[in-house]
Amino acid sequence: MSVSDATTAVTAELAARDDMIVCEGVNKWFGDFQALDGISAVIKEREVVVVLGPSGSGKSTWIRCINRLEVHQEGRIVVDGVELTNDLRNIEKIRSEVGMVFQQFNLFPHLTVLDNITLAPIWVRKKPKRETEELARSLLERVGIPEQAEKYPGQLSGGQQQRVAIARALAMEPRIMLFDEPTSALDPEMIKEVLDVMKELATSGMTMMVVTHEMGFAREVADRVIFMEDGQIVETGTPEHFFTSPEEERTRLFLSQIL
Amino acid sequence: MGLPMDPVAANVDAVEPWAGEAEPAQKPEEPSLSARQWVRQNLFSTPFNSVLTVVFGLFSLLVARGLLNFTFSEEREWDAVRTNLRLLFTHAYPEEQYIRIWVCVGTIVVLAGLSVGLLAGRGRGVSMKKLSLNLIGVGSAVALGVVLREPSVLKDADGEVLRDDDGVLRESFAAAMADRWAWWLAAAVLVGAGAALWHLLGDERRRKTFVPSVEMFVALVGLLVASAWVYPWGHYAFADGEFIAEPGRTVAMTTKLPWTVMWVLLIAAIATGRQLRRAGAGGGVRVALNLAWLLSPFVLYWVVLRDPALDWGRVATVDIPLAVLFAVGGAAVLWLLTDPRIGELGRIIATGLVGVAAFNWVAAFFGWYSMLQKVRLSFLLLALAALLAHNFAGERAQRLRLLGGWAAVTAVFHYMATIMNTPSTVETPTEALIGGFAVTVIVAVFTLLFSFPLGVLLALARTSKLPIFRVLATSFIEVIRGVPLITILIFCAVILKLFLPDGMSISLIAAATLGYTFFSAAYLAENVRGGLQSIRRGQFEASDAVGLTGVQRTVFIVLPQALRVSIPPLVGQMIATFKETSLLAIIGIFDLLRMANSVIPAQTQFLGVKREGLLFVCLVYWIFAYSMSKHSQRLEKKLGVGER
Repeated sequence: MSVSDATTAVTAELAARDDMIVCEGVNKWFGDFQALDGISAVIKEREVVVVLGPSGSGKSTWIRCINRLEVHQEGRIVVDGVELTNDLRNIEKIRSEVGMVFQQFNLFPHLTVLDNITLAPIWVRKKPKRETEELARSLLERVGIPEQAEKYPGQLSGGQQQRVAIARALAMEPRIMLFDEPTSALDPEMIKEVLDVMKELATSGMTMMVVTHEMGFAREVADRVIFMEDGQIVETGTPEHFFTSPEEERTRLFLSQIL
Repeated sequence: MGLPMDPVAANVDAVEPWAGEAEPAQKPEEPSLSARQWVRQNLFSTPFNSVLTVVFGLFSLLVARGLLNFTFSEEREWDAVRTNLRLLFTHAYPEEQYIRIWVCVGTIVVLAGLSVGLLAGRGRGVSMKKLSLNLIGVGSAVALGVVLREPSVLKDADGEVLRDDDGVLRESFAAAMADRWAWWLAAAVLVGAGAALWHLLGDERRRKTFVPSVEMFVALVGLLVASAWVYPWGHYAFADGEFIAEPGRTVAMTTKLPWTVMWVLLIAAIATGRQLRRAGAGGGVRVALNLAWLLSPFVLYWVVLRDPALDWGRVATVDIPLAVLFAVGGAAVLWLLTDPRIGELGRIIATGLVGVAAFNWVAAFFGWYSMLQKVRLSFLLLALAALLAHNFAGERAQRLRLLGGWAAVTAVFHYMATIMNTPSTVETPTEALIGGFAVTVIVAVFTLLFSFPLGVLLALARTSKLPIFRVLATSFIEVIRGVPLITILIFCAVILKLFLPDGMSISLIAAATLGYTFFSAAYLAENVRGGLQSIRRGQFEASDAVGLTGVQRTVFIVLPQALRVSIPPLVGQMIATFKETSLLAIIGIFDLLRMANSVIPAQTQFLGVKREGLLFVCLVYWIFAYSMSKHSQRLEKKLGVGER
């Protein structure tokens, strides 16, 4: 599947936007195991892409390659016009442009919520402390937990922690947000509060790439759904196309198991 | 959390309560057991347990009896310890300069008082229940001791011990018990007070009324100090080659007056600390206090104890201009390096400075050109600052903060370097400035101060991605850990001098401190490495994902968490180091142990009197080591180590 194929599925309006993430023939191995097998895709500005697939299909590996938490061995990844190479400065630049939300939240347990959020803007973006704290409080407002600023992550529920993690990523004012199974470690009653924040973020025009098992979210919010299996992109399409009339047999099988 | 907090433990309020809960959970209240129920449940629950209790109870009584008989035996010459207290604590520090020692003790008392007053907030202290049980317990122990100790020997009118064919004659048991009426009285007062407290307060109030520990401690010290003025503890001294032993008097003025001043200082400092806290003193005061703690060993040792005889002409023409030169020149370089637009040029300049700094040392080694040692060290400092400068790049305010920090570091460094290079006015018969317990404390404190950062750096280097750091750190750690401490100490004391370039010398105590530092750092490094390995991968990924640099990740994310996990082994290592300072005696330093083991037994009045001194040394070491271990337990609870 080539870049042009991937883009035919989206509207002409989408095609006219800038490319935010471009992957061309990305291959990655863990030892002998090939985790990514010729991944090629383009993600446009303000686009919300949901990556689906059975576990072990390489979705998380792919998303982690995009901000270089994993190193791909072949192919190109270009993020916002900067190619990911071993050059440290490129990696630093991309990481400050790309926000990431993890399955296990990965908040810093020894820092308050406020410090978790302000640490990177102050030390990476070199912003004044007061300004950053105001920004952090407004972000906490945005994710719906303004009253938790002085607490420690261990004192919050999983859903609250994940929302702090989103606020932490947003504090860097990223152009792209990556979500690596953001709701998988959450109790069912907390999933909605996190998804609501993500929906709001999507409506605000953030470029988002989301690995998730939340089909409802994919159907409602995604501009495009990418289905992966065995390290390959199997099928790409709009949510209606994907959930109602998938072309590939493997996609149908996956959907029948999950829906 | 949820445990009763002691005000002293609340010292760590400055440290954030990490992952603790907001409110300590209320423990479900258990009704107090009656004494009989308690004994049945805990001591005689099964026949087998009853046998164990009886057998080991008898064993402990035997041990206690032996210890009591040894300590209070008429043969013990406790005068050897009493007269030689000054020797045991400071060796030959000149008497007319003793005010300096009191200034040091006073400074530490004031800092401790300020810390307690400022930080000990939410502590509840000791509950009445615990207090009354403790009083009863101590009283009963006194009574038990009175019964256990063998009857005193009989003496004739000249004080000669009476003997018959079987050995010394002792008074009858009944007479001995009657003779010890004062001890009985003390025991009765303690038990009575405890019992009265217990019965006057109901179960509810016993458990919920607290005596603040700080006040209790201050009151106890006050009681001791007051007793020095009224109770005839006896006047003992060894001064100007003369032994003074006058049992009927109160202690010497040179003892009771300073300690009274210390006690007043303690109260004043605690009150000031509390006042500051009430006035809402923020992080600034705490930082200042921590800085004062950090600088106090250097200032107290080199400025107060050594009393440097400064050559003001040289200070004005050489030392001050040098300091200003480095402060201003360094600031200019750092200002340039923190310019956000500097880019690659910054790295080149920083690397160049490292090169210059390193070259100065190489040149010193080969004797190519001469240079003041502190100039070499200043270059090293500047290179270090230059390497870190890019982390402060950005706004004017942030850059100015780095410049301010640099100026402060330069000022402190040049001041200390000048002071250290100046000869001392304090004259002692030995090479060392001071000996006895003071040297034990000094070596232990400086070892901890130096080995902690070195240990952390070694741990970081050993886990570094750069092979050269990894290899260097691993070899250092493994070599040091593979060699006995005493060997390292002797090596440092004897051989190190031969490796130094011409014109450089190192005192025996400095050499020993260096040896201890290496040894302690190697072990600390392994403890810290354990902490580093316990940090989950997600923490690294999250730091990377928000764009922190490697240094920032280490300083802000990894180290704080790793050190927290390593607190128990770190404190264990510190206590071990403190106790290991007794090896100083072996390399020829007059430390506490050597005083008791060699110096006092060589005095004509106390020829061969060793046991008393050694027992005293044990007691001193135990008091300090035990307090440290107690404090670390509170710290662990407070930080919630082990309950992630």
